[in-house]
Amino acid sequence: MRRVRLLVLGMLSLSLAAPGYASRPATDSAATPRSPVAAELRATLAAQPRGDLQRGKALHQSLMCAACHGETGVAPTGNWSSLAGQRAAYTYKSLLDYQRGDRHEDDRANLMAVVVRDMTRQDMADVADYYASLPPPPAAAPKLTGETRRHIEQLVRRGDPARLLTPCASCHGASGQGGNNETPALAGQSVGSLAQTLHDYRSGRRVTDANQGMRQFAQRLTPDEIEALAKYYASLSGKRR
Amino acid sequence: MGPLMKSPFTRSPLFKPLLLAAAIAVLTAWLTPAQAAQPTGAAMAHTCAGCHGTQGKLGRVEFVPLAGMAETEFKRAMLDFRAGKRASTLMGHVANGFSDSEIDAMARYFASVK
Amino acid sequence: MLKRREFLQAGAALFCAAALPARATGATQAGAGHVVVIGGGVGGATAAKYLKLANPALRVTLIEANRTYIRPYGSSEVLTGHVGMDDLNVSYDALRSRYGIEFLFDRVVGFDPARRRVRTAGKRDIAYDKLIVSPGISLQYQAIPGYSEAAAASRAPSGWIPGPQTALLARQLQAMRPGGRFVIVAPPSPYRCPPGPYERAALVTEWLARHNPTAKVIIVDPKDSFVTDAGMQLGWHRLYGYNIPADYLKDMPADVVNSGRPAPIEWLRAKDGGTPRGIDSAALRVATDAGWIKADVLNVIPPMRAGKLAFDMGLTDAGGWCPVERRTFESTAHEHVFVIGDASIADAMPKSGFSANTQAKVTAQAVVNQLAGREPGEPIWENTCYALAGSDYGLFVADVFRLKDGKIAQISGQRYLPLDASKTRIRLAARYQQAWLKTFTEDCFA
Repeated sequence: MRRVRLLVLGMLSLSLAAPGYASRPATDSAATPRSPVAAELRATLAAQPRGDLQRGKALHQSLMCAACHGETGVAPTGNWSSLAGQRAAYTYKSLLDYQRGDRHEDDRANLMAVVVRDMTRQDMADVADYYASLPPPPAAAPKLTGETRRHIEQLVRRGDPARLLTPCASCHGASGQGGNNETPALAGQSVGSLAQTLHDYRSGRRVTDANQGMRQFAQRLTPDEIEALAKYYASLSGKRR
Repeated sequence: MGPLMKSPFTRSPLFKPLLLAAAIAVLTAWLTPAQAAQPTGAAMAHTCAGCHGTQGKLGRVEFVPLAGMAETEFKRAMLDFRAGKRASTLMGHVANGFSDSEIDAMARYFASVK
Repeated sequence: MLKRREFLQAGAALFCAAALPARATGATQAGAGHVVVIGGGVGGATAAKYLKLANPALRVTLIEANRTYIRPYGSSEVLTGHVGMDDLNVSYDALRSRYGIEFLFDRVVGFDPARRRVRTAGKRDIAYDKLIVSPGISLQYQAIPGYSEAAAASRAPSGWIPGPQTALLARQLQAMRPGGRFVIVAPPSPYRCPPGPYERAALVTEWLARHNPTAKVIIVDPKDSFVTDAGMQLGWHRLYGYNIPADYLKDMPADVVNSGRPAPIEWLRAKDGGTPRGIDSAALRVATDAGWIKADVLNVIPPMRAGKLAFDMGLTDAGGWCPVERRTFESTAHEHVFVIGDASIADAMPKSGFSANTQAKVTAQAVVNQLAGREPGEPIWENTCYALAGSDYGLFVADVFRLKDGKIAQISGQRYLPLDASKTRIRLAARYQQAWLKTFTEDCFA
């Protein structure tokens, strides 16, 4: 019994010193992306430092985040995601994923890998909390009508039991405001950015979802559904939490 | 003599300095780069195309597509780059080559591209 | 190829016999006409595309000797295997199908400026209203005693115009003996792609560190400075332990300290005796003021001047480049003929692809305006050259140019990546260089 407790303590201290979500050497960027192990991820997120908003704002400047993600964290084009109002745990985890070398699904990810290389975990927490503190992106004009709209609202609220699809809202919130842990807010994201992300999960190019949650979901969507879902979430306004 | 010369204003001791100031203002405006011959919005926008795509239309994600960008967004970015308020790899250098009214003209051009 | 006089006569004789009307199309429609572009490199391709963008009613014919373009920018990456020779190929299909540009894959062998006609090797006689020539550069192999085109093709390649010499140089690098010396002979100014020889040196040094770690790169240079020299040397210092010369050291960040140990890259400047005086291509060595430099692989980038066609057409001056009226790049030698790109004399503008691209746009608009009876607009040009000190270490030069007192002047101030730039900015510049190779090719050719 005592041995077991020691072992547990040992594992705990190990995970505190170097949480399971360890970075790879920077030279190893071409390595095969890994999926997170859920327990490791939980421990890592639990150890996320408290962010300093002023430092976060300064890093947003000096790391040139605004070039793609917009000066106020609202992306000026559909190529990149908006970060304003995003859940800090998601931003923090994403930055770690880039640094671990687990995301090179597209040209965006390759660029991010360059930007995060020298960031400390404190830096990541600072920018994550800074973005979380900004007003979320505004809602785009609704683009869905008629049958498509009804179908997508059904998917979001009720899922599709026939395809074993859980409702999007059960994790991402009733109004796309994000959920527990690292589950991101989707409201107000641009159509292009969200659709690209779903396609990356669908094709398996992106593998950084715990328990393959998003891959299993996206693989059962049609390309038309992905496009419509992206339009749906773009038209929602992110609520402050 | 026109009615202006008889007005109380023209008799004011401030009239001569004011006239001089107005003349200087006109001359300065004429001489400042903003008032010098200005390339068209399209001509200036074409210098961006090597990175930002022909007419600002770009299929790649590393650089920002400029076609259809809101005028205010474009102007704020360029003015901030020029003032050094926004970090960049080289956009600060490039923005330095354009006056306010030229940035306005480029903004109108890109906003008009469908 | 004919001598220049024969070249012009070949055109004249033919056109007299043909006795065709002087104007190409009669330009019945306001602003319409036939513009012929010679040379399908960056300048010519961009000019043809932007002519059609400005006025789709214009008839545009592009005459080019080769069916596929081999891009020179980024071609040093072939040496290190980062890209293959095939990756340099650029198709003309998009220009043809998307913009309706007519292509003639042929060589120009005759020119009659009085009657506005050109003649091709394939015996086509083509009349133009306006002619844009983008002849590029020619390499003066024979300008260095002992060097020749034959030597470049077999023993000591230049690889400055990409092609078989590039592939040969790549094979020589890969086969170099352990601890061998890769010697680059840099050209005198002006030349195409000012940071290019030094970027090539950097990429080869980086490759050797991995595959031939005791080998060495030596640059033999007739100059004392080059574009981005401070930033490039700082990159070499950080990445390869290069020792920075004393005169550059004073402007470097405080943490820069030379080790004094032999470094895998060395820059032998004119003031250090680096001026190349001759090449012994059999023994692979370069004669310099500092003595013979022995090479295992010898890459000679010879002096340059305008492309041969520019000489044949009588567009060059005594210095070997093409004088132009700066606002439009209309040749001062022939009316209705415009010379753009590396071959033109453009004052402060470097001889680069980006320069040729923005010159092409200004000239295309000026030609469209002339044909429509309008004044040429106010010109503006730009140049952005990215360069690598390593595959993850980017540099750049960025300029905006305007017309000032009849000359082209840089008006945007600071040109280079500052020496105190952050690591992120340096790495992003390298990433952007890779992206730029693609976006730039699209703006010129698609």
